[in-house]
Amino acid sequence: MSEARAPAERSAAGDTVVRRFLVRPEAPALAFLAILLLAFTLANDRFLTASNLESIMDSVAVLGVVALAVNQVVLCAAIDISTGSMLGLCAIATGAVSLSTGGLLLPLLAGVAVGTLAGVINGALVTLGRIPAIIVTLGMLYALRGVILLVTGGTWITGVPEETRVLGTGTLLGISVPVLILIGLFLVMELVNRHSTWGRNVFAVGGNRQAARFAGLPVDRTRFFAFMLVGAFVGIASMIYLGRAGSVQTNTGVGLELQAVAAVVIGGTSIAGGRGSALAALTGALLIGVILNGLILLGVPGIWQDAVLGGLILLAVATDVLRRRLVGDKA
Amino acid sequence: MSALAGTVRRLGFSREIVLLGVLIALVVVMTLLDPLFLTLTTLLNTSRFFVEVGLMALGMTLIIITGGIDLSVGSNLALVSVAVGFSFAAGLPLPLAIVFGLAVGVAAGLFNGFFITLLDLHPLVVTLGTLALFQGLAYGVSKAQAVSDFPDWFAYFGQAYLGPIPGQLFIFVVAVAVVWVILSRTRFGRYVYAIGNNEEAARFSGVPIRRVKLALYSGIGLLVGMAAVIYTSRVYTARGDSGVGLELDVISAVVLGGASIYGGSGTIGGTVLGVLIIATLRNGLILAGVPSTWQLFVLGVLLLAAVFVNEFFRKREE
Repeated sequence: MSEARAPAERSAAGDTVVRRFLVRPEAPALAFLAILLLAFTLANDRFLTASNLESIMDSVAVLGVVALAVNQVVLCAAIDISTGSMLGLCAIATGAVSLSTGGLLLPLLAGVAVGTLAGVINGALVTLGRIPAIIVTLGMLYALRGVILLVTGGTWITGVPEETRVLGTGTLLGISVPVLILIGLFLVMELVNRHSTWGRNVFAVGGNRQAARFAGLPVDRTRFFAFMLVGAFVGIASMIYLGRAGSVQTNTGVGLELQAVAAVVIGGTSIAGGRGSALAALTGALLIGVILNGLILLGVPGIWQDAVLGGLILLAVATDVLRRRLVGDKA
Repeated sequence: MSALAGTVRRLGFSREIVLLGVLIALVVVMTLLDPLFLTLTTLLNTSRFFVEVGLMALGMTLIIITGGIDLSVGSNLALVSVAVGFSFAAGLPLPLAIVFGLAVGVAAGLFNGFFITLLDLHPLVVTLGTLALFQGLAYGVSKAQAVSDFPDWFAYFGQAYLGPIPGQLFIFVVAVAVVWVILSRTRFGRYVYAIGNNEEAARFSGVPIRRVKLALYSGIGLLVGMAAVIYTSRVYTARGDSGVGLELDVISAVVLGGASIYGGSGTIGGTVLGVLIIATLRNGLILAGVPSTWQLFVLGVLLLAAVFVNEFFRKREE
């Protein structure tokens, strides 16, 4: 009998290893990222070069920073699709302040202040106004784009001074500043999620809001801060954007809201809330960057980008559902 | 405010009557701003613009009543427009191209429906994905080019007049009647409300939830297809960026019409009034010379205000 049981036990142990990997929310995305890197390297010998990888990381910095914050909102079982217009507005604030005062600190403060204000409006409407987050942020997506057109009158901001552009173009210890900011904020968010009260509350509120309320957690405050954080991070991202682009147009940031949500769910954070990690958002953003970069190297026209992005979102959410059915996890 | 809500209820004012009052007030204000507004020609001309949003809003009403949402309607409109235009440019006879376009619209809706029902996913995520997917397909297939060498008779759908009345108004009136009958006079309509009120309870009562949802999402696909044909005929061009952002107009109209975004309530009469109010507002803003940049802002704020007022009054009523 003991011989008969042994293989079963071994396969159960094998199951646990597979399971332990599958249970990690960002597992499929990480595996997918590895496969893609391999495939693109084989398909194009210019892909796996230090300069190309750095340019991917650079191009993903704005998206990654925004995705790290949107990730917190999604973990709370809400959503924010106003980040595209928000980035445009913040970039205009940073650009305008930079043109009038120069420097680095004042434009950054202006961008973060404008973003935080927009985030506070989102958060207040969702928590105090009891309006669903999708409606609030859809309305804000259009309202803020209207504000952009109003304040700029349709003109561009150009000729941003070099000292303001450091966050987008500079290097420190041989690593580009946007990449450092992205990695720094990623580490901060991992720490916050693991060790801060608010970070733990985010998971509790997203996992089961009713239970969180009964446990006495400040449900509304937790969600409010998540929306506010998106605003602040978008403000930081707008400085990276301004540095890299050197100018702001009225359509700056259009479509970023979709990319950010895509990065979060592709990375493995559950759209139902409560499951995921900052690593998921970072992985998702990198995946999008690698795919868009790979498509360009493979010569696929840029007009297909939206279709690829949409397909990826659907693929990601479908994989998430199937993975959970496989693991038998109801969360 | 609770006193106001109470008075409103005591006087037997339904939400539709309040909305009608808002619409009349809006027309009066617009007339004061521009005397040309209150002429039959202007009013009927307005209708040329709201039929497309109106058709989609009819389908969206039912979907929102079930507690769902479809963010992909604007992109689907672009996809159908491109399907009609480019299959015609590729040599398909125009009547067949139009049928093909409608089929694409229904297929896109079915795609949403299957994804939502088979994987038990929230419609919000699925249609956010297809918002990008359909838009990208429309851009990709059209290679960002436009088709506009349609034969003259194609103008019939979006530019024809029967006397002073725009042709598409008849299509809209028929669609309103059909959807109203479905929602308030059939078993299917009761299922729609049942799902929105309590999906779990509806399931245990034997409501075929998946089939109802599939029908709803492919149904709105058909309505989007019709709207796309009218739109393409009206602007006489098929392009990949048609209908960008239209989902905001559509959802705003439905919510303004009193449908709860949480599901369970909403009426076709309310939605029609919501569509009329938004069309009057848009047209009035144009006539009053308000820059088009303001319109996005006004519409965004209007959507938020409408949901806020809705849920506020609903809570007081309960």
